[in-house]
Amino acid sequence: MVKWKRIGMDLTFPNVPKYTKDFINDMGQPLNIKIYEPSDDISPQGFLGLGNEFLEHIDNNYNSGFTLHVRRRDKIREPIRVEYIMNDENPTVVDKNIIKVDEDSEVTVIIDYKTISDTKAFHNGITKVYAKENSIVNIIKIQRMNESSFNFDSNVAIVEGRGKVNWISVELGSSISGANYTTFLDGEASEGYLSSIYFGDGNRKMDISYSMIHRGPRSISNIDTKGVLMNEARKVFRGNLDFKKGARRAKGNEEEYVILLDPKVKSDSIPGLFCEEDDVEGNHAASAGQLDKNKLFYLMSRGLSERDAKKLIVEASFRPIIDSIPSDELREEINLEVERRFANV
Amino acid sequence: MSKKLLSIRNLKVNIEDKEILKGLDLNIGHGEIHIIMGPNGGGKSTLAYTLMGHPRYEITDGEIKFEDQLINDLSADKKAKKGIFLSFQYPEEIPGVTVEEFLRTAKSSITGEQQRIIPFRKLLKEKMELLEMKEEYANRYLNLGFSGGEKKKNEILQMSILEPKLAILDETDSGLDVDAIRIVAEGVKRLHNENNSVLVITHYHKLLDYLEPDFVHILLDGKIVKTGGIELAKEIDKKGYENIRQEFANK
Ligand SMILES: Nc1ncnc2c1ncn2[C@@H]1O[C@H](COP(=O)(O)OP(=O)(O)OP(=O)(O)O)[C@@H](O)[C@H]1O
Ligand SMILES: [Mg+2]
Repeated sequence: MVKWKRIGMDLTFPNVPKYTKDFINDMGQPLNIKIYEPSDDISPQGFLGLGNEFLEHIDNNYNSGFTLHVRRRDKIREPIRVEYIMNDENPTVVDKNIIKVDEDSEVTVIIDYKTISDTKAFHNGITKVYAKENSIVNIIKIQRMNESSFNFDSNVAIVEGRGKVNWISVELGSSISGANYTTFLDGEASEGYLSSIYFGDGNRKMDISYSMIHRGPRSISNIDTKGVLMNEARKVFRGNLDFKKGARRAKGNEEEYVILLDPKVKSDSIPGLFCEEDDVEGNHAASAGQLDKNKLFYLMSRGLSERDAKKLIVEASFRPIIDSIPSDELREEINLEVERRFANV
Repeated sequence: MSKKLLSIRNLKVNIEDKEILKGLDLNIGHGEIHIIMGPNGGGKSTLAYTLMGHPRYEITDGEIKFEDQLINDLSADKKAKKGIFLSFQYPEEIPGVTVEEFLRTAKSSITGEQQRIIPFRKLLKEKMELLEMKEEYANRYLNLGFSGGEKKKNEILQMSILEPKLAILDETDSGLDVDAIRIVAEGVKRLHNENNSVLVITHYHKLLDYLEPDFVHILLDGKIVKTGGIELAKEIDKKGYENIRQEFANK
């Protein structure tokens, strides 16, 4: 049993049975995807993810995962879809995913964690991205597990010169959910972007932590997060911009906007700005608040019920991020999921 | 059935425990055009918001009846469904929601019938042409970055799509250039018929020249203190409110 300090709870890792569902959905073309082998591993220095216990648990127990190696100058147009589906036979996913993208290449990977029964599922996983010079890597992560499940997800990227990693994270489910994204901007003019939405309803507890670690000169990062909390959901958000020695003229930016729909929600936001260099620029902005009463009234005066008016404003704040997901089907599913959660407002 | 569309009796309204409307009476019949004028801070917008059901405005006394039904406590969406519309003095900006999407949702809620995309788009296009609005505004976010005048026109566009029985225009003419005032007035006239009524709050009598109102009311310090015809508006235009203020104070 580990004590998970961030949320203030005790957590027992379950036994990890085999995972037998197919998780790579889209293997039409001869990509270099293979099921994870230990020899593929990369271990970024100074990466903690959600914490050592979680990382060790993955290393000792993983039951799924893949390695994707994109060769030099290979631009893979179609997104690769990976679905970790959990049900009564496969309630546990401990996955280790490794994505290595060589120089001048490009790839998009969509990784989706979902339950298809009301079994109490458990996910603890890690996704590691290694983006070499001048590569573009888009990773879209969707978490929509049911209300009794646990989700723990650690993500890390190492970005070399002029490489670019774009993370999109959509957090919609679980009873307890921890998500960490750490991006090491090692190379000169490397770029890291993270756009995310989260929706907390019911009694969900969420721990979200994002770190952009600038080591390369003129590296650029941006974190853009839109959240909604309702019922009795709780959330802790940590956004760190960390400028290490050598990150001259680097720029980092972070924004988190959260809409609080009910008085009983709890929202903590802890931005962190660390500088070992002077010549850097770091900005953060955060706001948490109720929906603007006058906006609500304006919409209601045109016939929208209070619920529909709130829904419209929330959907509008999510829209740019949802619209950037390169799959009509997934966008539709996510929109429906958001809609469903408004059914009991 | 009475001939009254709206009847307000002895309406008292507080904002944050401060009394703003202090016993206001007003009757509007089917198919009538009424004007309310009055000095700044007199309570005109307060009346408009209260009629529309803004939760911040607390009715402490009196009654508002619409088509003979008491509507004091109805929420804004229910009032909209009954056929009341307010053109806001300061329309809100809603990023992320386009004019078209919003109006289709609004029209669907008010009529109770899901508006289909293609026919609705056609309707919207027609109405926009009548108001000399460029087509691309349909795809812009609601009021976001609109100029003052564009926002007001967009209110009239919403009115002509939603076709209310009672349209309340709170200083819709303020900030409009002369052509825009004419276009807005024409829009209002198209809505107005033997059933649909209009309540116009204004400081200027330019709009009145187009609209031929049935009644002009002066709202002063939370009450309607004087009612007349268009000549009353002309008198105010010339002499201001001082005479009326004194006349009322002497009573
Ligand atoms: N939210 C509020 N909180 C406190 N006081 C308010 C609020 N809204 C309005 N008031 C006050 O109520 C009074 C009436 O305001 P209202 O906006 O109704 O005036 P008006 O007649 O529409 O004026 P104008 O011609 O300037 O638009 C004013 O004294 C105003 O300061
Ligand atoms: Mg006003």
